[in-house]
Amino acid sequence: MSYEAPALEMRVITKSFAGNSVLAGVSLCVAAGEVHALVGENGAGKSTLMKVLAGVHQPDAGEILIEGRPVRFTRPADALAHGVAMIYQELSLAPHLTVAENIFLGREPLRFRALGVVDRREMNERARQLLSDYGFRLDPRARVGRLSAADRQLVEITRATVEARRCVVMDEPTSSLTAHEAEELFRLIRDLKRRGLAVIYISHRLEDLDAIADRITILRDGREVYEGAWGEISHGEIIRHMAGRELKEIFPPRAAFKGEALLRVENLTRAGKFEDITFDVRAGEVVGLAGLAGAGRTELVEAVFGAQPAEGGEVYLNGARLGAPSPGRAVRLGLGLLTEDRKRTGLCLNQALSKNLTLANVRVLVKGWRLRRGRERTAARDYIERLHIRPPDPEKTVGRLSGGNQQKVLLGRWLFADSRVFLLDEPTRGVDVAARAEIYRAVNKLAEGGAAVVMVSSDLPELLGMADRILIMRRGRLVAELDAKRTTQEEVLRHAALEEGEGAEKVMVDSYV
Amino acid sequence: MSDWIKRFLPFASLIALCVVIAALEPKFLSSGNLAGVARQTAVITIIAMGMTVVMVAGGIDLSVGSVMALAGVVGAFAMTNGAPVLEGIAAAVAAGAACGLANGVTIAALRIPPFIVTLGAMGVYRGVALLITDGKAVVGLPQSFGYLAEGNLFGLVPVPLLLVVLVALATHFLLSSTRAGRYCYAIGSNVEAARYAGVRVSRYQIMFYVFLGALAGLAGAIESARLVTGQPTAGEGYELRVIAAVVIGGGSLSGGQGSVVGTIIGSLIMGVLSNGANLLGISSFTQQIVIGAVIVLAVTFDEFQRRRLETAAG
Repeated sequence: MSYEAPALEMRVITKSFAGNSVLAGVSLCVAAGEVHALVGENGAGKSTLMKVLAGVHQPDAGEILIEGRPVRFTRPADALAHGVAMIYQELSLAPHLTVAENIFLGREPLRFRALGVVDRREMNERARQLLSDYGFRLDPRARVGRLSAADRQLVEITRATVEARRCVVMDEPTSSLTAHEAEELFRLIRDLKRRGLAVIYISHRLEDLDAIADRITILRDGREVYEGAWGEISHGEIIRHMAGRELKEIFPPRAAFKGEALLRVENLTRAGKFEDITFDVRAGEVVGLAGLAGAGRTELVEAVFGAQPAEGGEVYLNGARLGAPSPGRAVRLGLGLLTEDRKRTGLCLNQALSKNLTLANVRVLVKGWRLRRGRERTAARDYIERLHIRPPDPEKTVGRLSGGNQQKVLLGRWLFADSRVFLLDEPTRGVDVAARAEIYRAVNKLAEGGAAVVMVSSDLPELLGMADRILIMRRGRLVAELDAKRTTQEEVLRHAALEEGEGAEKVMVDSYV
Repeated sequence: MSDWIKRFLPFASLIALCVVIAALEPKFLSSGNLAGVARQTAVITIIAMGMTVVMVAGGIDLSVGSVMALAGVVGAFAMTNGAPVLEGIAAAVAAGAACGLANGVTIAALRIPPFIVTLGAMGVYRGVALLITDGKAVVGLPQSFGYLAEGNLFGLVPVPLLLVVLVALATHFLLSSTRAGRYCYAIGSNVEAARYAGVRVSRYQIMFYVFLGALAGLAGAIESARLVTGQPTAGEGYELRVIAAVVIGGGSLSGGQGSVVGTIIGSLIMGVLSNGANLLGISSFTQQIVIGAVIVLAVTFDEFQRRRLETAAG
């Protein structure tokens, strides 16, 4: 029996960012004609592993082999040259070009080679052929910008399969597809298998994987915790492996105290993002919001804050309706949002630490027309000390601080603004352990002081350790509410990842209110 | 360290430039010549103060030259129709502020890129100025109006220089010691972050364009006083000199950076450069080449600084 090298092999890949280990020796082996499921909690290292494979990131150690031969991918073009193509979650199409132009971008069929004249007819014809082979009903001449998200996803898939000669990676490809379109996709994937392609399929939807997967690798905390044939492991076991994260941090205890409902969200809806969301948060309470990536948690808290629109429903702060929401109004009424992306929506990177810290409440520093810089510096020093921000220099440009310290500055911003209701979206993402502990301590102090806290997090141990109650969103809906003290990571994940009736007890969400 | 260089470099360049020119042509340091430089650069510097505010907030205004002409003409009309000199000046400032308001509302409320809006406005305001004057200069202004450009306070300090100082102090106070100034830097540094912090971004953006428009109006009045006529063709190409002054002085085209002191130095560098070149008999053609090169150098320097910060923030 001759040994046949796998189409693709990644050997003990390690990768860390700024001292944070993201991949701690992960191996992945995919044979030609195999669909390999890659699963793990958010932040388990799936995306980083795939970015290493795509040549976006360079591994610190480990190697990649294609058909048994070691290769080095230093940029995305290298991976493509070896026939490894990737379908990203965020769409990477050119909206002003047509479907056919996108599919053949960079590989246009030419009429006069030397002149580089695109043979448009040939290109459209080949695109039409491909699309009809795949069963996608799309006009090759349609502009991509006018297509629905689902149709764009189909274009992306078509493009990747044209490039992929050996291996294609799909990252949650069905998240924007209808059931019917997903069926078409699975048909296509089976077809790719027959043609001998290796497919790496990342998804949280275990029922999708049932339809196509041959093998599975489960990642947790940047390690590979399970590898085997798909049929040999039950959904329950998969979830147990995903969730088995150890409780690394010790969560400080908090004095239990519950007052009036400070924040009440009623039937809040935005089509395609979240639907009919109702919950409230009382003074002294920390409510966790769990869900998979794309479940609508960020969109929900941004809509509560008024930074993104909602189409229906109401938000009440302290019993008063927050009509015509805008961040300006929300902030004045005592709402603060620590956003998920601190560089894009949080910090003024080239400004001083103190200016970033006071930004949401400059008003209190002004007397007459004059902004009292001395008072600002004193305030900044105060919060630097309280949150242990390093270096303790109010004039330091905030862009030069570490991620954890930047996050503490932003938390300090809402403390300084005297917010009463805190919406914290992934408050410890990309934050080192020491800063995490400071953030947990600060959140506890807030709750003890009578603030209401909503904490969105993909880190389950963190949610279980910090929250009083956990609300779980799946595909834009609140599907369960659990008592954080009496639930487990597995139970939360089961609600977040599985469809109704798949071993998940139905929980009446509205029974609380 | 690099912050310090950045702050010091324009000032050092200005001093070096003065030393070189004075060594080659001692007449440069005569009080007459220096007063001349101050008068020549006054108009540019005053507009550049407003431009500093707009550019720190991440905006830009290409229409200031046209606004200046239109405001100058409006002020001149007011005076030829019997308005006293002070009211004429006020009319010019108000006309400038109105132009700034129109720019600001279009940019902030309708969310159209400022480059495009003010490029269009540049044509519109110039056209209006030409239309209402029928392309001819407005003459017959009161003699006392000339004092605004040619007068000397106590026979010593040129009036335009005094105005520059007053405007600069006010702008410096605005940027460094008021809430609006703080928001100005925040909006320019990261407009989304400012919005998420509760800053009413549009309102402040509009305010900054109005401030710039009013200063362009004042500059228009000074220019009319210097020419003792309302010229619909005044201020052509000034927008580029104004933007150059801000950029040479350390203002960033991408917002969040810039200062009054820097802009004044930037404006003086350009003024001294062209004055020195005139004294030394260098042709105005060569001057254009030199000034253009200086602008590119200043922006290149700024760009490298920014990239360094971004890498550090990685």
